[in-house]
Amino acid sequence: MSVASYTSQRRVQIGTLGLVVLIPLIAVGIETSLFTYGFLNRSLAVASPIAIAAIGGLYAEKSGVFNIGLEGFMIFGALTAAVTMFGLGGSSPGQGYIWIALVASVLVTVILSAIFAVLLIRYKADQIVAGLAVWFIGLGFAPVIATLIWGRRSSGGLSSINNVVVPGLAEIPVIGPIFFDQSPLILLTFVFVAVSWLFLYRTQYGYWIQAAGENPEALDTAGIDVNRVRYAATIFSGAMAGLAGAVLLAHLGSFNASGDTTVDGRGWLGIVAYLFGNYNPIGAALAALLFGGLDMISVQLQTLGINLSSRIVNLVPYVIVVVVLTVWGKTQMPSSVGDPYESED
Amino acid sequence: MSSADSSGARTVLDRAADRMLDAGVLERVGIAIASTTLALLIGLGIVAMSGYNPALFANQLIIGAIGSEAAMARTLRLSTLFILTGVAVAVAFRAGVFNIGVQGQFIVGGIATVMPIVWLAPLLPSGPIGGVTLIVIGTTSGIIAGGLYAALPGALKAYAGANEIITTIMLNFIAIGIVGWLVMGWFQDPNAPSTRTEQLPEYVGFPQIVFSSSSFSIIGLGITIAVVILVAIVIERTGFGYDMVTSGHQQSAATYSGVDAKRTIVATMTFSGMVAGLAGAIFVIMITGNFTNPDGISTYGFDAIAVSLLAANNPIGVIPAGLLFGGLDSAGSHIQIHSDVPAQMIDGIVGLVVLFVAAPELFRMAAARTGLGGDDR
Repeated sequence: MSVASYTSQRRVQIGTLGLVVLIPLIAVGIETSLFTYGFLNRSLAVASPIAIAAIGGLYAEKSGVFNIGLEGFMIFGALTAAVTMFGLGGSSPGQGYIWIALVASVLVTVILSAIFAVLLIRYKADQIVAGLAVWFIGLGFAPVIATLIWGRRSSGGLSSINNVVVPGLAEIPVIGPIFFDQSPLILLTFVFVAVSWLFLYRTQYGYWIQAAGENPEALDTAGIDVNRVRYAATIFSGAMAGLAGAVLLAHLGSFNASGDTTVDGRGWLGIVAYLFGNYNPIGAALAALLFGGLDMISVQLQTLGINLSSRIVNLVPYVIVVVVLTVWGKTQMPSSVGDPYESED
Repeated sequence: MSSADSSGARTVLDRAADRMLDAGVLERVGIAIASTTLALLIGLGIVAMSGYNPALFANQLIIGAIGSEAAMARTLRLSTLFILTGVAVAVAFRAGVFNIGVQGQFIVGGIATVMPIVWLAPLLPSGPIGGVTLIVIGTTSGIIAGGLYAALPGALKAYAGANEIITTIMLNFIAIGIVGWLVMGWFQDPNAPSTRTEQLPEYVGFPQIVFSSSSFSIIGLGITIAVVILVAIVIERTGFGYDMVTSGHQQSAATYSGVDAKRTIVATMTFSGMVAGLAGAIFVIMITGNFTNPDGISTYGFDAIAVSLLAANNPIGVIPAGLLFGGLDSAGSHIQIHSDVPAQMIDGIVGLVVLFVAAPELFRMAAARTGLGGDDR
């Protein structure tokens, strides 16, 4: 199947997704003033780390490596960001330190995911067990490091990132509150989504990534080192997950290592977001936004006086995940995911 | 595996399975012991670096785990849960099915044990006969509920290709949410001072024989050991267990010899969930006597994954691994009260054990297997 027909097939499916799920929701939402800018912005804040992790995960899976360790890398990203902020600025780090913390998180997770990639690609470790191990190592290490640094499992309050407000433009209806009075990290997420879509579908390296997962023999025949492409995609996925953890932390402003940690399943939602979004960065981001909206909707319903149990409403994303995997789980996976590639020469 | 029949394919499979089971047993034990020792040593090093006395900490660890009758009872109580949930994980992992949903199945099993007992207790005579009847009814209900809650992701994996790792994790969240909602709503005891279900009648519980602890009975541990042996026999000595393990390790070979891979996946998940449901039943009958908001229940089902990996997914091996985790957890609650060292250090050490167990496991599994992923979508 040619890449062009492949992507056009995806567009149809994504379009269907949009029509079936989003439009009735939006119509009902506008009718009942369920959707406010506050709601949209809160949903975007929940969605952005999920979307960033999802883009990383889909690049890896497109290249033929199932990075099930996204959740673990997110934990390391969030923890590194918290530790960096605290190390530089104590319990009230300045805005500049937040940006340094984001960079530090990416650097740390690049190193960790490079080790992970070597295990998977060079030593052909089982992608599932290795990915789960990353999660456990994250769950295990986070409380140790938190306890060492803060003497307890929680960092307490650090700083969260300020919105970028463009005076004047922020007053424009609709666009203003979304784009000109917004967390810079959410704006960055918009950029990531667009760039990662362009890169994957409109550059040569993007085609190589798709070929590495879809037809590695052909890529090899064309003289491209399949494993090099897979290394790049896997390390990128770990770095994106680390960034996702750091973005989550920069919005929340504190790290908690107890239970499932502050990350609390968002890495898993990232995996599901790209499955739902049909391995397309834009689809994945829309799916992440849907999860973010569902996460926040119980608050909105309560303000309208509808008292659904928030506990039950908060389960909706998880139920949707199970349904989505059941209906679509089988169809679009790149054909060579999970197979180590060995060149014939 | 001595009961090999004369069929050629079967013999080949037998040899392969034998090799999988026997090869490197020593190596696995070695990895487990080395991982645990290294984790404890590093833990003590971290304790020292944090400015506490490591010798004192080590001493507290031992006192907290086995230093008194109460400590022993606490260790065995926690170990009972770690062993049962660990076996539940081992059953599935052994068959190449990654059931990460043991925590959810444990919770569903627990609530499904409490409610029938609470509802039926007024209809039955009190006293030992009523107690035993109610325990049997409640436990059966818990086992069935756990099994069904695991059969669902099993069927979704087998017949719809839904990745069981993700569905079981989602079903954990869903179980915690729904059971929490029920415990705060319909199932709540209006007269209770805290959010919980009605208390089980006093005569529904295991008798104290060895330890005078209200939340541990040697009967609970006995049932657990019996279940471990039963599971080991099912896996090692029955056709069903044989199909499970071979389809996990050598899927194509198993299919060639006539194993229905899809049905095996559903059966494996159900079996795993039944053990998790039993763990939930023992948890409420032996320990709590009621069910609280599951947010606050310890993550036995997640630690169970570490227990199972430490035991190389071998049911018998889960017993020492479960005892170790029970001891560490028990020492943690002792240290919280009797020492300046933050009790979280124990979680750190448990995390390190997982780290070291998981890491060599990668190399070992990478060498020993192709196709164990169980991900045939």
